[in-house]
Formats: sequence, C-alpha cells, structure tokens
Amino acid sequence: MMESLSEETWDTVMCGTGLSQSLLALALSRSNKRVLHLDANDFYGEHEAALSLQEVDAWARAHADTEDTNQPSNRHVSSENDAGETVAKRTDEEKQTTPLISSGTRSSIFRNAQVWRHPDADGRGLSFPRAYSLALAPQVIYTKSKLLLQLVSSRAYKQVEFLAVGSFFVYSEGDIASGPALARIPNSREDVFSTQSIPARSKRTLMKVLKFVIDYESDEQKSVWQHQADKPLSEFLVENFKLEQNLRDSILAMTLTLDGNITLKDGLAAIHRHLTSIGLFGPGFCAVYPKWGGISEIAQVGCRAGAVGGGTYMLNTPVSMGEPNDSGEITLKLANEVSIRTTAFITSQQICSTTSHTISRLVAIVNETFQSLFETFTEGAPTPAVVVVAFPSGSLPDDAQAEPTVPIYAFVHSSDTGECPAGQSVIYLTMQTTPQSSHLLDTALAALLQATTAPADVLYKLYYEQATSSRQPLTTPQGSATVFEFPSPPLSLAFDDGSLDAVQEAWKLIMKGEVIDDAFMQFEDREGMSDDDDVYD
Amino acid sequence: MASRAGPAASRGMNTRFAQFKLVLLVLRFVKDQFDSYRESTIGAAFLTQTISLDESTTVKFEIWDTAGQERYKSLAPMYYRNANCAVVVYDITQSTSLDKAKAWVKELQRQANENIIIALAGNKLDLVNEQPDKRAVPTAEAEAYANEAGLLFFETSAKTAENVQELFTAIAKKLPLDQVGPRHTRPGQRPGGVSLGPVEGRDTQAGGPCSC
Repeated sequence: MMESLSEETWDTVMCGTGLSQSLLALALSRSNKRVLHLDANDFYGEHEAALSLQEVDAWARAHADTEDTNQPSNRHVSSENDAGETVAKRTDEEKQTTPLISSGTRSSIFRNAQVWRHPDADGRGLSFPRAYSLALAPQVIYTKSKLLLQLVSSRAYKQVEFLAVGSFFVYSEGDIASGPALARIPNSREDVFSTQSIPARSKRTLMKVLKFVIDYESDEQKSVWQHQADKPLSEFLVENFKLEQNLRDSILAMTLTLDGNITLKDGLAAIHRHLTSIGLFGPGFCAVYPKWGGISEIAQVGCRAGAVGGGTYMLNTPVSMGEPNDSGEITLKLANEVSIRTTAFITSQQICSTTSHTISRLVAIVNETFQSLFETFTEGAPTPAVVVVAFPSGSLPDDAQAEPTVPIYAFVHSSDTGECPAGQSVIYLTMQTTPQSSHLLDTALAALLQATTAPADVLYKLYYEQATSSRQPLTTPQGSATVFEFPSPPLSLAFDDGSLDAVQEAWKLIMKGEVIDDAFMQFEDREGMSDDDDVYD
Repeated sequence: MASRAGPAASRGMNTRFAQFKLVLLVLRFVKDQFDSYRESTIGAAFLTQTISLDESTTVKFEIWDTAGQERYKSLAPMYYRNANCAVVVYDITQSTSLDKAKAWVKELQRQANENIIIALAGNKLDLVNEQPDKRAVPTAEAEAYANEAGLLFFETSAKTAENVQELFTAIAKKLPLDQVGPRHTRPGQRPGGVSLGPVEGRDTQAGGPCSC
C-alpha cells in the first residue's frame, strides 16, 4: 500500500497538522489537488495539539530539554531528532545551500517540560488519562476574528462546538481583613453602571475611557493618540484620563498583554476588539472557545475536510528532504524509506528565532468547579466554559523582587470544555518567561485558589516554556518546486488573525493562477451535510 | 469522563426520537476500489440514516464516515468522541480484510466509549452472490469472531442495499433508547454552546450592546 504513495507526483505534501496546515487542507479540500498530509507526531495539532494525560506524559519527556540544546544563539549546530536524522539548524545565510530537513518529533519551540502528579491523585479524583484533553497552546477566539468568518464561509464550523468565554477578572491581594479577591471587569455601559465595586467618580472616568476606545479610529480621537502611538498604554491612561491603578489594571487585562507594556496603538486595537466583539454571536460574551481542546479541534476539522476532499492522511510519519529530481520536483523520504515527489512542500518552522520572547505555561487539573466565576451578568447569556483571571504586574504576594515583574493570566476552563471530567477544572496559566516563572506560576495558582476560597486539590500539573520561530513564512525555491514554511503559532492568548495571511499565501502558491482571492474558503454545503434536523420539529 | 456519551432525544405525545453518532469505518484495500468508493461517497462525509423501530420510535444516525483517514491509522480523536456505535466494514472478497477489521475493532474498543456498540459488516455480498468463487472470507469464520468479540454481524451489499437496513435496525435495537437525555439540536448549537449561524447582519450589529 505504501508503494502507491510513490506512484504519483503530489501537488502538495504538507507536514504538520497544526492550525495553519490544517486550515490550508480545508482551503484545498475542494480543489482536486492531490494532497498528502503528514505529521511526525502520532496526534493531530502539532504545536496546538490537545493531549490526553498519557500523551502529555510522553510529550513532556520528549520536551524536557533545558534551553542549552536550543540556545537561540547556537545558530550553526546540528542535532539529532528522534528519528535519528540530523536536523540542520539553518540561518538565513545558509537557507539557499543547506538541504532542509524537516520535522522530527522534537522541535525547539517547546522546552523545559515537567509533569507533577499529586501523590494521592487517584484518591482525590484524578480520572483515567483519556478523560482529559489538555491544550498545549490554548487561545480564546474573539467573535470578530476572521477565523470564525472563514470557518462559517467554508462550512467547517458545523463540526465544531463553540463555547462562550465569560467574565474577565482582576486579582488583587486585598488587605489583611478581606484577603485576596477577584474583581470582575465591567465591559459595557450597563455593566459599569450596575457594578458596585467601583465608586461613582471612577465610573465616570471608566466610561470616558470606554467611549474613547470605541471611537478611537475617528479623526477626532486619532489626533489625541496617534502622535504618541508607541508609548505604553498605561502611561497614556494616567496622563489623559488620570485613571487610577485598579482601573488601569482592568483595562490592561482586557488587552491580554503579556509584558504589561503594550503600546498605545496595539492596546487601543485590543480593547476595541474586546468591546466590539461583545454581543456579536449572542449576549454577554466577547470570545469563544472550541469544545474539546480549542484550536486543536479546528485543526482536526480542517484535516477532516481535507480527507473528505480526497487528501491522504498519515500520522507518526517523519519526513526528510532530498535533492530535487531531474524534473525539478522535491523528493521527500518518509521514515519508512518510501520516497515521494511533490511540487510544493509545506511545513512549519521549527527553530526559534533569536528575538523571540518565551512564555512559560502551567496547566493544572483541579478538583473544584469554581462555579461563582462562571455566573452570567447579561440576560440570555450562555453559561461560559472559560473565564479569564489577570494577575497584574506586581500583584502577587512574594513578587517584591528587584526585577521588573510581568502580568500572569489564568484561563479557567470548566468541564463543559470536555477537557476534564465533571467536578473538575483545568487552569491554564501563562506569563512571559523570567528566571522565576515556574515559581511565580505556582504562586499565582495558589493565589487563585485562595481568592476563590475553593477547598481544592491540584491533582496534576504540567509546566513548560514556549518560544516562536521567525514571524514570517519562508518561501524557498527548490528546483522548479517550492518549500513553504509556516511560522510557529504566535504566543498571544487570543487568536491572532495575522496567522491567517500565511495560509492564504500558501493556498495561492499551490493553486497558482487558478483562483481569485474571493474564492478562498468559500464553499457550499456538501451534499448530505446540510441541515435536516427540521424533521425533529 | 470527557467523552460523555451523548444520545439525545425528545419525546412527543406518543413518539420517541433518538439521535446517535455512528462511526463508519470502511476498509479500502486496492487503489481503484478506493477511488471508486470515494467518487460514490464524496460529499457523504456527514450522512444521516433514519430508522423507524416501531410506530412510536424513530432512531436517527449521524453517520461519520472516516473519509479515508483510517487508511494509514490516522483517525482523529473527534471520530471516537461521543460515538455511540460503529460499523466496521470489511470486504468478503479480500482475504486479509477481516484481519484489518479485527485490528480496528480493537482500536475502537481501546479509544471509544466503553459502551460503544460495534457492528461488523462483510461487504460485497452482491459480488459473491453472482460469482461464489470470489468469496475469500467464509461467513462462519467472521461470524464466529463477531460472536466472540461481542459484535453485531451482517454480510451486506452497499450496491444493492441488501441487509443494510437490517444492520441499522439491529444497531438501533441495541442502543440505550431509554437513557436518552435532553433534546439535541444540530452540531454547533448544543445547549450551553454558541451558534455561529446567524453571521449575516454582523456589520449592522458592530459595537454590540456596548456602543458606549
């Protein structure tokens, strides 16, 4: 059966089943192109996978390396991947001459992974491994995102269950009497008025800020901020609105800024996105999260569309690149020595860039439901499955260090996400990596449990760090064929529409002159897939 | 558990509807067969089949064809998830095909809900009816295996539809119709979920309720 893979020249061979390649598979699913889609891992989703605990354990072992082997400055080293092949770490200068070898199961994007299990995990309710589905790179998707528009126009959305992202909270240490607390961020006019935690004068200031942001792209407001677009948002809020600390923290939390220093330009765009996303798909929420593991689920739906369109899927299949053949096609060798040919090879950049930030992530399974966090405050709002808790810079008790501190964000996922059994929650904490980040994330987790006065046990924890490749896709001619490398996923906590541009670019490359941009991701329902549930009514 | 089994139904006055997810795993061996199969079912990635068990009970199957992803053992978890039943189809004219079916039955038993109902279907009965010497898997052998593994068993013809209705009816009869939960709407619109359907008119709503 393997031999049949060698018989034809594939129009495209894709390596990696992360979101970008999977959306490309979806985009090509009606094109009649011959598509072979591979992944070196034995699971779908690559850097954006959602894993069972058994898979997490194996993944953590494979990504336990410390930074030493992946020093961004070590740009000329070679290392062996798990298939025993030498992986050349290319520099831009080498790009033209060094044969590109792609995708062993190890990548330098993730590192320092460690798993911790409660000594009495089973006794305290940790269920069997497949009862969990932990997302490696969880992101919320704002309802305004182009990704959702593309999923709708391609009809793929019908296979995804979207859940509402609910309230955003800000953590504060509080005083000795009250203890630590979570304050919900009001995000609409009605909400600001009805909130009791903000004094009347502050309410007026906050309303002024929200009003300004909603209208920030008008000429009138641009004259206020454009000349200082690159200064930190927080400075602007103090100077222009005299906004006090706790409200400033709330506004910054809405931007999900990881360094706490988001610029005025980016910050205004982020808050604007947040505010204008509320209500688009229903009352009371601004973002959605796909059930069963977030982005990973969209990747699976993309791959499914690719398979329905005739694409061939193979997991657990590393691939390495050979010399172009006489017809100028790319030759690829699969791990099982089968050799295949293609005119377009689409893969992911695996090498982290020297300028990239690194984020630290802590994923914790907790035997508590945090019901109070999932309350709704708008009539008709769906019960959210995800809420966001921000720990502003310097808000944690033992944070008083000389080094500048950064904020920490916690996404609390209820069992409605399908990521854990009923009665439990998965908490995803993220911060920019500092020498203390492993400790700080643990502190934040403990503070969250204390603030919600939840008598909870942490049953299982996964810590790791995530870097990024260069942010641009790389296109390299090989003979008469082309290699296209997607950038690794961005580190942002909300889905970044920018990553969709590379998908469309790759689509154009494969479709050559055959298409117009208007046709990208625009499909009719497939026969037999249209809504026929009406027979039930 | 994360994969909560999701039979869903509604009860009218005297009628009962139940909907179940069924994974259809068709083992394809030879290239031309694979291709002709694809052509005939392209677009059939999400079929439904409705069975009336009796006057008051209707069972609807949401059929998830694996679309060839099973070919190199690359089935995505979304297929297994919440699947109430599975049909593993082998080819009675291919001698190795029952072995492959057995491997997939094992995989289903490992990955899917523990109470999943699995049916084994030996396809191409029409071909064997016409030319008995084409048979490569004896009925008795497959039936013995099915009994031992606790599977429903039928020999079928996708071409003439022989035994296809019987297969679905037999599965429907084994499903837990009495444990059905709240009424289910279409995918992407389950209770508590968010529907992306009414995407038209988004522009007019821009700003949402917060046009401060």
